[in-house]
Amino acid sequence: MKKNRYIIPALLSALLMATGCDNRLDVQPTQSIDENVALGTSRDVEVTLIGCYDGLQDVDVYGGAFQYASELLGNSDELGFGGTFQNLLEMYNKEMTTNNVTATSTWRDSYVAINRCNNVLSALDIVDEDKRARIEGEARFIRGSIYFDLVRLYAKTWGDGDNASNPGVPLVLKPTRGVTDADKIPRNAVAEVYAQVLEDLTKAKSLLPESNTIYATKYAASAQLSRVYLMQGNYAAARDEANEVITSDAFSLNPTFESLFFTFLDNGGANPEEYIFSMIVTQQDGTNDMNTFFGTTISAIPGTAGRGDIRILAKHRGLYEASDKRGAFFVTTNNTFTRKHLDKFGNVLQFRLAEMYLTRAEANLRLNSQTGATPLADLNLIRTRAGLKAASAATIESVLKERHLELAFEGHTLHDLKRTRQNVGALPYNSPKLIMPIPQREMDVNKQLVQNQGYN
Amino acid sequence: MRRIFPLMLLAWLACWLPVAAQGVRITGKVTTSDDASPLPGASVQLKGTNVGTQTDSEGSYAIEVPSSNSVLVFSFVGMVAQEITVANQSTIDVKLSSDVRSLSEVVVTGYGSQIKRDVTGNIAQVKGTEIQNMPVASVDAAIQGRAAGVYVNSGTGKLGQAINVRVRGNSSISASSQPLYVVDGMPVTTADLSNNGGSTNPLSDINSNDIESIEILKDASAGAIYGSRAANGVVLITTKRGKAGKTNVSLNYQLGSSEATRRVKFLNADEYVKFYTMAANNRDRIDGTDTQDPDSYTQYMLGAGGFLEYYSLGTYNTPQQQNYSWQDQAFQKGPMQQLDLQVNGGSEKTKFFLSGQYLDQTGTLVGNNLERISGRMNLDHQAYKWLQVGLSMGLARTVNRRLPGDNAFSNPLQMAALTPLTPFTDPKTGLPTGTPPGDVNVPLYFNPMISINYAKFEATSFRNLTNAYAQINILPELKFRSELGIDLLNQNEEGYYQSQNVRNVSTASSGLGNNYATFVTNYNTNNFFSYDKTLGLHGIGATLGMSYQQSQRKLSFVEGTQFPSDSYKKIASAATKSDGSTSETNFRFLSYFLRMNYKFADKYLLSASARIDGSSRFGVNSRYGFFPSASLGWVVTEEGFLKNNNVLSFLKLRGSYGSTGNSEIGDFPQLGLFAGDAGYAGSAGQRPSQIGNPNLKWETTRQADFGVDFGLFNNRINGEIDYYVKKTNGLLLEVNVPATSGFSVQYANVGKLENKGFEFVLNTQNTVGAFRWTTSLNVANNKNKVTDIQGQVIEGGIRSMSRVMEGQPVGVFYTVEYAGVDRANGNALFYKNTPNPDGTVDRSTVTNSGYNSAQRVVAGNPNPKLVGGITNTFSYKGIDLSVFFNGVSGNKINFYGVGQYSSANGIYEDNQTADQLNAWTPENPDTDVPEARFYRGNGNQASTRYIFNGSYLRLRSITLGYNLPTELVRRIKMEKVRVYVSALNLATFTNYKGWDPEVNTDDLSEKDSKFALGNDFYTAPQPRTLLVGINVGF
Repeated sequence: MKKNRYIIPALLSALLMATGCDNRLDVQPTQSIDENVALGTSRDVEVTLIGCYDGLQDVDVYGGAFQYASELLGNSDELGFGGTFQNLLEMYNKEMTTNNVTATSTWRDSYVAINRCNNVLSALDIVDEDKRARIEGEARFIRGSIYFDLVRLYAKTWGDGDNASNPGVPLVLKPTRGVTDADKIPRNAVAEVYAQVLEDLTKAKSLLPESNTIYATKYAASAQLSRVYLMQGNYAAARDEANEVITSDAFSLNPTFESLFFTFLDNGGANPEEYIFSMIVTQQDGTNDMNTFFGTTISAIPGTAGRGDIRILAKHRGLYEASDKRGAFFVTTNNTFTRKHLDKFGNVLQFRLAEMYLTRAEANLRLNSQTGATPLADLNLIRTRAGLKAASAATIESVLKERHLELAFEGHTLHDLKRTRQNVGALPYNSPKLIMPIPQREMDVNKQLVQNQGYN
Repeated sequence: MRRIFPLMLLAWLACWLPVAAQGVRITGKVTTSDDASPLPGASVQLKGTNVGTQTDSEGSYAIEVPSSNSVLVFSFVGMVAQEITVANQSTIDVKLSSDVRSLSEVVVTGYGSQIKRDVTGNIAQVKGTEIQNMPVASVDAAIQGRAAGVYVNSGTGKLGQAINVRVRGNSSISASSQPLYVVDGMPVTTADLSNNGGSTNPLSDINSNDIESIEILKDASAGAIYGSRAANGVVLITTKRGKAGKTNVSLNYQLGSSEATRRVKFLNADEYVKFYTMAANNRDRIDGTDTQDPDSYTQYMLGAGGFLEYYSLGTYNTPQQQNYSWQDQAFQKGPMQQLDLQVNGGSEKTKFFLSGQYLDQTGTLVGNNLERISGRMNLDHQAYKWLQVGLSMGLARTVNRRLPGDNAFSNPLQMAALTPLTPFTDPKTGLPTGTPPGDVNVPLYFNPMISINYAKFEATSFRNLTNAYAQINILPELKFRSELGIDLLNQNEEGYYQSQNVRNVSTASSGLGNNYATFVTNYNTNNFFSYDKTLGLHGIGATLGMSYQQSQRKLSFVEGTQFPSDSYKKIASAATKSDGSTSETNFRFLSYFLRMNYKFADKYLLSASARIDGSSRFGVNSRYGFFPSASLGWVVTEEGFLKNNNVLSFLKLRGSYGSTGNSEIGDFPQLGLFAGDAGYAGSAGQRPSQIGNPNLKWETTRQADFGVDFGLFNNRINGEIDYYVKKTNGLLLEVNVPATSGFSVQYANVGKLENKGFEFVLNTQNTVGAFRWTTSLNVANNKNKVTDIQGQVIEGGIRSMSRVMEGQPVGVFYTVEYAGVDRANGNALFYKNTPNPDGTVDRSTVTNSGYNSAQRVVAGNPNPKLVGGITNTFSYKGIDLSVFFNGVSGNKINFYGVGQYSSANGIYEDNQTADQLNAWTPENPDTDVPEARFYRGNGNQASTRYIFNGSYLRLRSITLGYNLPTELVRRIKMEKVRVYVSALNLATFTNYKGWDPEVNTDDLSEKDSKFALGNDFYTAPQPRTLLVGINVGF
């Protein structure tokens, strides 16, 4: 038993040796990095800017939700709905609940992207000088764009009552590092949100280059500004922004209407020259949720996909004149679907030049001006491309109808009806049913928020 | 030489003396005292030595003993051991009496073991024999209903999927509530490793027949030795080890077949047409549309080129129209077979246990199969008197052909929702309807049979659980044991979707293959001293040691599309490598533990234990946690005043208090992080991904337990009663933050909850003698209450109907209260339940359009109030019968996952459950099914309409066996031949309207699955399995 004299100390030291393991407990994750080292170099900020686009591309932001929400809420019997997604059915029936998944996700994911922009904007001082203006411009473009889409979906229309007191959406302009009660902020007024949108977008326009590959350009900012001004009824500014895009010659109308879509299947993923800005979808990254819900699998066209939930009814198809190529841009199985969104990996279109022509035409008409071209010339540019005879006169009504047909299912419906104060079916433009609820989750977690009318 | 010779002779004699002394040969027979039947395999041991033998199949034995003073010990599992002094006998026949739950049994306690009568904590034991040959894939499913306070819900009938186990209730909200599993001293990998469909269950790599016993550490006293990992209970699994003596070979084969327990009745073709005609007519009436109008819903459904014509492939309203019960296609009779070989034996120095098993089980849903081959070798070797070494090694290969998650269109059970007029086979192609080149848009949704025929997702896992030990006896009472274990889990998941699946997997237009490789390496070492000493009336025991564990999980993934043809299935042939990824995560634990037991005069028991746990998961400000516990016991029957009591043979009072933790909080919840996964259009991007919290730590549970162990009539009736209060604080919550911050949640230790409950265990020996009948019953009640979540709203599950809220159990259903149907017009009604200014609740009702104004209310608890099991075993001569029921009561199930589509009075085209035929009509005003209105919500919103009672009583298992008479068996040179028939889930008694009341959908997010229990989403029912088996021993 002599050996015990050695064994016990040896074993005890073996036992205690383990204290040396303490530093082994410092384990770092492998896919993520500490926030304190994440924004240390110019490159770090640049990749965070890419993260902003990734956030913008989310299916519940510019990947589809803002657009299909507008189409479903703005629809009156031109679309049919046959899917099982209750969030979409609720929008279609204009009977949304405060737990509506789109209302919840779009709100959340919009602010996720905004926080990414705020991270970029807070770290501009470490960005290489030659890139700084562009990077600030892109981040502001994304932030301003999202605030604009949020405020027109979740708040009363511009001019419906007092913009300065109507609640808009909360404005968050600083990156979040920790969350305290101070982060529970109320909704800013509609006017304040629009002011921020205009500040971001005008600044973006002044900072952005004229061409910037797939990323935001000066003209994307102009195009977005033209929408904001149109929404505000500031026709002169809307006209001038649209005119600036058109006269830049950076874009041109596609010779045929049909060639505007199927960016992946027919165009190798590249945007047609008419596109001003889109969300790029590749096989690896990004989802086109307009395809998810408007698209369907057509056996004859490999690469098509979609749930086939949103169908195009006869009422809409009856709006086209006989020789209108756009009126034939449908595909019918047991239901009829638009061909615009069949391409599974198609880019999600945000702005194209045709919209600028139609905006300029409408604004010129309303202002009785002829900036850039006559309204009739702009109108006929669109009509003749669609295979129609040139019109002999342009009226606000005919331009709006052309706009409806040309830009159908591209996310304009609800907002065009609201800004022109037209009914959606039996609902007046300012019906609370046409405004998204503030998500229940947000109401529960932030007592500073007030719910929209009709959802209490 | 002469003087030497006698010396040599003496020496020679001396050498032979012991041998000569062994000349006393004792023979005899060991039988049971009840019916005098022979006891084969009983141990006969010379007391104080290693010398011993076993009885043969006749119960006979022969042994040499050194002297007439020798004492023989006769023992057999489940019997009271007897000691007999040889004296001058040469034949000793012994009758052993049974001891149903002997208090002298040893229970495993974690880093040691203890005699049951000395235990002061609460440890439930399940013997390997109780669960052997149960036709379930994993041990956690097998212990269902066997241990008080252990609630097991298998969730789904899909094979090899994760199972919910709750020991004394839900102790967490955002962290895991699953217990820690320790196999032969080593914490094993149990986390989900699935990349397709529901969670996998790594415990299904363990052959339940290799298990000697399972101990479940339930209270703080038992659990504190596992510190920060014990708050959800600890399940200690001990595998079988070799026994010295004759080599025993046991061969078992069983063959059976499974079928789903229950089906739900859906509309047949005629009912469907009638019902949807009504629904479409109603909708047109509301819209003011003429039913003949081509744009009317009626024409959409019934008209030329309408829904019915299209989806019936043109057979609607023709003589070819037929009824197709799509649900029936989802189910199949699944054969199963299992072959087991076990060999054990060895010498006093070296003992071994070897086993092998082949299991092939086919699921009750089409396309589901699990095949497992496993082997085990457990060795123990006494190298020197002072050194014992050993090895346990289990190897398994499990191949699981898996099914998609419940929420996938390809889930076979979702076929129930397809139109009953749609033919199974497209006559144009002869292929399952919807298979190209036929029209892919029929049936209504993707036809899961296409996925079954033309896609496959197979998970193959290789598992190596190896544990080596060396034990040094430093002094007779002091031992040092060192264990080194490794748990290797290598899983490959291979999926291939042929082009036919394009409607479901749109990227599979030219085939899609994916491949996931998961590699989990988990090392663990335990090093500890144990000390055991009896000094007169004082008994002292102590354990002191450390343990270190490190675990790494790596995942790599590749996906390819564009295959030349469906014959090419490997990604090597994919022209586009469409996706790929690798990832890795790690965690580590460094722990020190101590336990001390003291006992005085077998009467007063005292125990204390503690553990210090450090983990990489905890924030830098709280890296180490301390978890102490103490317990007391008083064996009242050892006191003079009760010692010779004939009725009360045993009574022990015990109490414990202590603290344990839950560290299943994720690997890096404490850090503020950016993630590099935010690329766009091929450019790399990063994003803020998590808000940090350097103070983050384990969840702490403080538990008090009071228990009584009792035995009556010489322990013929014995049992345990426990009451516990378990208070958890520092609950890790994903605290909801305003989404305007750019985040949804932040992790913080802020919540509190409690579990309180009673447990009752009763074992009785109802008859003895030739006919034996024993009963064992366990019942537990648990009351779970969330006491503080700092006003957070935590909800999830189907349509966010599961909620965590203060004053309520974790995961209560919270939804609008359904008020039935307006007699006058068939409108669905909901109670408003909003508070009135005077404090009362507004019980007026609203219709569909007022749904938003109705206040949600607590609508039931998914956690049962009572859980229990009762086993009756009968034996007579060679026949044995075991009947085991288990049940739960007081829980609710949310059927909305199915109901929102299929019990929704015809809002969508989904086939409806037959109860929807009772929809309101002017002629049928007294119903709770609202008027059918096509594409118009009328009560299909989330509400209590879909919350059902989930109580059930189930004949979980019944086994009838027959042991062939010994004479017969001997004639064929065998020791034992047993044939049996057995059934699992033979009968289920429930009012639940869905498929099976034992349900948890497998398709929730990881976060939701922690608390959102009791959801049904076309979830596969449990299997009802019938089997026959034969067991041969020689």
